[in-house]
Amino acid sequence: MTLLQGTLDLLILKALALTELHGLGISHRISQITNGTFQVKPGSLFPALHRMEEAGWLSSVWGDSENNRRAKFYRLTAAGRRQLKTETRQWETIALAIASALQTS
Amino acid sequence: MPFLSRLASLRRNLFSRPRVERDLDEELRAYLDQLTEEKRQEGMGAEEARRAARLELGGLEQVKEEVRQVRTGQVLDEFLRDLRHGFRALRRNPAFTVVAVLALALGIGANTAMFSVAYGMLLRPLPYPDADRVAVIYMRYFPRDFAFGTMCIRDYLMWKESNRAFEDPALFRSLRMDIGGQEGVPEQVQGASVTAGFFSTLQAPPLIGRTFASGEDKPAAASLAVLGESIWRRRFAASAAVLGRTILVNGAPSTVIGVMPGAFRFPRRDTEVWTSLPLNPPTRYGPWFYRGVARLRPGVTIEQAQAETNSIGLRMMQQNPYYKRLTMPVLGLRDAVLGVTLKPAIMVLIGAVGLVLLIAVVNVANLMLARATVREREMALRLSLGAGRGRLVRQLLTESVLLAVMGGSAGLALAWGGIELIRAWNPGNLPLIDSVRLDWSALGFMIFVSMLTGILFGLAPALASARADLNSTLKEGGRTGAGGQARGRARAALVVSEIAVSLMLLVGAGLLLRSFVNLERVTGGFSTPPRQILTVLISPGSRKYNDPRAGLAFYDEVLRRARNVPGVEIAAVTDSLPPDQQGDADTFGMEGQTLAPGETNPIISDATVGPDFFRTLGIPLVKGRLFTNRDTQDSAPVAIVSEGFVRRFLPHQEAIGTRIRQSGPALGNQWMEIVGVVGNVKYLGLTVDTDPAYYMPFAQNYGPRMLLIVRSSGDATQLEGALRREVQSIDPGVTLAQAATMEQALTLSVSQPRFDTMLLSLFAGIALLLAAVGVYGLIAYSVAQRTHEIGVRMALGAARTDVVRMVVRQGAALAAIGIALGLGGAFALTQLLRTMLFGVGVTDALTFAAAPLAMMLVVLLATSVPALRATHISPVLALRYE
Repeated sequence: MTLLQGTLDLLILKALALTELHGLGISHRISQITNGTFQVKPGSLFPALHRMEEAGWLSSVWGDSENNRRAKFYRLTAAGRRQLKTETRQWETIALAIASALQTS
Repeated sequence: MPFLSRLASLRRNLFSRPRVERDLDEELRAYLDQLTEEKRQEGMGAEEARRAARLELGGLEQVKEEVRQVRTGQVLDEFLRDLRHGFRALRRNPAFTVVAVLALALGIGANTAMFSVAYGMLLRPLPYPDADRVAVIYMRYFPRDFAFGTMCIRDYLMWKESNRAFEDPALFRSLRMDIGGQEGVPEQVQGASVTAGFFSTLQAPPLIGRTFASGEDKPAAASLAVLGESIWRRRFAASAAVLGRTILVNGAPSTVIGVMPGAFRFPRRDTEVWTSLPLNPPTRYGPWFYRGVARLRPGVTIEQAQAETNSIGLRMMQQNPYYKRLTMPVLGLRDAVLGVTLKPAIMVLIGAVGLVLLIAVVNVANLMLARATVREREMALRLSLGAGRGRLVRQLLTESVLLAVMGGSAGLALAWGGIELIRAWNPGNLPLIDSVRLDWSALGFMIFVSMLTGILFGLAPALASARADLNSTLKEGGRTGAGGQARGRARAALVVSEIAVSLMLLVGAGLLLRSFVNLERVTGGFSTPPRQILTVLISPGSRKYNDPRAGLAFYDEVLRRARNVPGVEIAAVTDSLPPDQQGDADTFGMEGQTLAPGETNPIISDATVGPDFFRTLGIPLVKGRLFTNRDTQDSAPVAIVSEGFVRRFLPHQEAIGTRIRQSGPALGNQWMEIVGVVGNVKYLGLTVDTDPAYYMPFAQNYGPRMLLIVRSSGDATQLEGALRREVQSIDPGVTLAQAATMEQALTLSVSQPRFDTMLLSLFAGIALLLAAVGVYGLIAYSVAQRTHEIGVRMALGAARTDVVRMVVRQGAALAAIGIALGLGGAFALTQLLRTMLFGVGVTDALTFAAAPLAMMLVVLLATSVPALRATHISPVLALRYE
């Protein structure tokens, strides 16, 4: 299923809310928390990660992966946490509005 | 802090680029490894897992490019990289770069210079506040019939009284002035006599002192003078003590009240003294010396003012039956200063130089297209590696704009040189030359034009490159395919258009040249070589010479001494000289002629001349006799008329013995008997066809200010110093001015046509050169591409002449199409030249035949070089090359 415009950022922020992850970890996590609805392709994932890092929401650090390979790990910054809150609130407002719009007959 | 974070990213992206790239590469490779590992754990074989992972990632390079696109400072970074890349590409190809930059430098340089001339003449604000609200008022009427003629004080007072469109009207006339006084030796300068409102109308404040106050032009007002900055520095050492001093203006005392800044140059560029003009109540019409200047009332347009002024003119005509078909032309100050012929000429030159730029642009576009073919593979490769098409277009445009800016900068240097040359030399005798300079507006123009041309000649090749079909281009392996053919056609079309446009310019220049040759060939009606005639304006200074007896004795002495100067063959005095309306004009009466009441003969040139005048200039005597020393104040009044006069006014009557008199009947001048008929002289300018004139002997019609003319045995310029010494030794109050040879006067009189012709010829020359380069480039390129084909032909027995013919035919075909199109365009465009031509029609057959011939010749010449080179192709080498 294709992602709605703007939802990828929210999903990435959410995926990183608990712990830091590398690129592949993030895409697995998104797949997991959306019950497999969204599969994020690297062609969208990496530009988004770099963009968000430059915006100051994420920070990255090189570390070792589960199987002892070097990988770049991303984590939320303070600004990223604020951004997650803001975007969550916005999304809830939108979801509510759309839902109520669809319920009216 | 998002902002700081962005700033840090920008710094990193721009300055630590290799590290950022390495980071990205590692990150993606790690991702790929992890993915492969995962697939293997899911049970795939090593090879299979790697393939699957790669497939899932998509292209590594594409992902990288996507990431790069979102980086902060991406646009700036790409621009800088494009610029570097562009520089490298241009350096790799010096021949291309030099030719392109030179072409652009010529085009942009010529345009910037011409822009500066046009801007200075037509747009730069005049040094008077709100100058576009100021107008000059003329009078035109029959029989006088000067398009921008003068009025008399009576006309002015009537107009001023009825006028509602203007505020602050003033009256002025230009005249020569003898300036004398205790401050130095007397000298003659250009002056103006003006009424009190003159300076306030122009809102021109003085440098020091004051200008005329209202009421200072009343009949009995004291005589006041305002000096120009130049004469103030020259005669009074720029001292403020000049205010209140009395100077002598034409022998009469006048009090200096102010000094005008050097930028104030009205009514003439060389006006140095303004004196107050007393508006004495006129007792009669005339003399017609004056023009009006006034400021439009707020909200009134110049058209409304013209309409009102015309209706006043109508009433003037009803009051004075002497005026026929009277109008009062109103010209804006700028048009009045520029003259009405200069503006259209400048517009034509602007158009012409624009066409030159167009040809330069086409030339460079052509070179770019040729290069695009070579770079096709580079572009295809970049596309396949993930570069966006927009990205490629941007890169190519950066390159072409870079090229244009380089050309523009070189052009700026050319323009600077050109403008300095024009300023120093002022070949067109342009009235506002001081305001022609290279400044910010010209720089802005240059940058704008460079950008525009860069985009213009870069866009088509860039779009074509970005549209390239990857598969066929890469497979073609660099050989020209279908795209190459289309491009070849485009290049041929461009060259054809170059030929057409240059031909149009060539025809225009040809017409102006022919016209100018005609002008040069026109004689003033005299046979003495102009180089051998020296003329100088003499003013005796002292008022005692206003008396004819003293004055005539003075001029007898002047002539006696002048004849004794070594090198002088003959000398005479006159008050009129060809070719530039230097002289008087008046109507006349003829005995036995019956005119309707209020009707008069036309106003024609009249000249007062001494005995040897006709012999000095070499004006032929047709009939009767010339003036002699026996025609004196006491002898019977005599006159001489020109052939044109006889043809027009005495066609069926013996001229000799007929009596005429000067001016209208109201003046009651004495009758003069015609004693001779002489050849026609062009007093009103070389381009005037019929110019009838009558002559009166100096002794019977004395005036104190006369032109001394001498004929020398050699170069007349050498005589000036000796003549000046001789004449001034008669009386130290005598002043001499405007010494010039007739040759110089003739040159000056055709200075504007010369300027137009010179510039248009220069532009046509540049255009021709650029077109030749364009043709050469195309043919040379096509020969290079057809090396293989030519080799085969020669291997199969084609002779060298066959090869030459084949190549030349290609050039000739282009030329033929271009010439046909260009002739069509020329027929349409040369209409614009109509008013600038003399003695040659806008469809002059000779020009329309010679220009295409010259064009064809140049094209064949440009073709012959590559054609000859083609014959040296070795069939063996050409075939092995494949």
